[in-house]
Amino acid sequence: MGELTAIGFRHGRSLLHRLDPRTKQALLMGLSVASLGGGVTFLALCTAVMMLCISTAGLRIRRLIIETRYFLFLLCFVFAVRGITFTGGWVPTLSADVAGEALIVCWRLLLVVIMGVLLMATTRTADIRAALVWYLKPVPVVDEKMAATMVGLVVRFLPVILFQGAEIADAQRARGIERRKNPLIRLMRFTIPLFRRVFIRADELAAAMQARCYSDQRTLPELRFARRDTLALGIGILLSSTVMLP
Amino acid sequence: MSRLPLSGLPNNTVSIIQISHLYHRFADGTQGLDDVSLAFEEGEFTVVAGANGSGKTTLLRHINGLLLSESGTVTVCGKSVKADPSAARQQVGMVFQDADSQIVGETVYDDVAFGPENLSLERSQINQRVNQALAAVDLSGFENKMPHHLSGGEKRRLAIAGVLAMTPRVLMMDEPFSNLDYPATCRVLDHILDFHKNGHTIIVTTHDLEKVIAHAQRLVVMVKGRVVKDGMPADVIGGIERYGIRPPCSVLLGQGIRPWVN
Repeated sequence: MGELTAIGFRHGRSLLHRLDPRTKQALLMGLSVASLGGGVTFLALCTAVMMLCISTAGLRIRRLIIETRYFLFLLCFVFAVRGITFTGGWVPTLSADVAGEALIVCWRLLLVVIMGVLLMATTRTADIRAALVWYLKPVPVVDEKMAATMVGLVVRFLPVILFQGAEIADAQRARGIERRKNPLIRLMRFTIPLFRRVFIRADELAAAMQARCYSDQRTLPELRFARRDTLALGIGILLSSTVMLP
Repeated sequence: MSRLPLSGLPNNTVSIIQISHLYHRFADGTQGLDDVSLAFEEGEFTVVAGANGSGKTTLLRHINGLLLSESGTVTVCGKSVKADPSAARQQVGMVFQDADSQIVGETVYDDVAFGPENLSLERSQINQRVNQALAAVDLSGFENKMPHHLSGGEKRRLAIAGVLAMTPRVLMMDEPFSNLDYPATCRVLDHILDFHKNGHTIIVTTHDLEKVIAHAQRLVVMVKGRVVKDGMPADVIGGIERYGIRPPCSVLLGQGIRPWVN
């Protein structure tokens, strides 16, 4: 489990740790939306700020790359699909203009994921949940406590599912799964036990929560909006305004 | 160390837990419990022993209201568990066999606070309970650690703290010594004995009597969902191997029941 810390909460005293979870969620949403139209200037500034946040939050870049390796593969795929064109038959070509655009798209996606990882690494699930309840409260029809609980559980147990997957993969490698060349068979051998274990784990979790009187009407963490939150939001707005720059 | 108070229910009931003609059948047709009738007195230390699949965990789950009776009744502090499982869970804390599956918080503090938060207590009360529960299992100072980075023994103690923070009157522990090394087993055993001294009713299930039987006041033996023996450990222990349970070494050596550690 020690390997899963990069995308799970890590206790710390950095500025990001001390920000109100509502501020962090607002920044994540705002900057994600802004990044859709952001050019190189915005993306470069954002990246610099993210690097600073990663460093002060005590996350290691190498570990972050390892944890997000599948997403990085996906980005390579996105780059290939968007950047490579076929002109004059079946010959793939890579023009600088199209590749540049593809690179920008990948950069935006990567930034959004890094912001998400930073939110998860510096915010307790209980705080994420409390902030979501606060945001969803004015929304009619939506049961904010139930919705926030579902999101909180996903955030909390995503690393556990990844850990179970890694364990199954290791156990299968130990029994020579690599010798099976058919990827479909390998996928089936992997997903069936993974789903079984995830469902068993979900049952156990539900029992453990019930045994401790779980209910929707829980005491939520106290949220405090401080001066540093105003400052952080101000920096976020300034950063977002650079969307207008090329 | 300040003690966690026990929940304030009236103390005039003779049996804190009363089970009467309880049956449970699993979805595959296996009879999990077969006409089980038991009563547990307040402050009693009971060991429920049995081989794998004898129905020990199923029995605990019925007492905790995680399973509800199809036939028969279970009452905790005079109230039917079926009618109000939540009230039963506040009085009867259950520590699961696999501590990992019980841990729901991202930090030690979050996990211990989970129960009191569910009881909608004030934050100051929650903090007080968390501090007391962690102190009771020698985990003070671990508040900000990630539970999954703790050792097996620490996780087991964290699971106990999570239950203690709800101030139950009864502590039920399902195989509390499984997968623990010698020092961790000793610490968990010491804590269980402390909780008993402090007035908790203790119910421990195990297939390994060695570690705990010398301290118990009562031994219940289960086979295939039925209670086959129930009484003082010294009276019940003779010939217990025929139920698939290994007697303690001291009994095998003819020295009677003796403590596992001094």
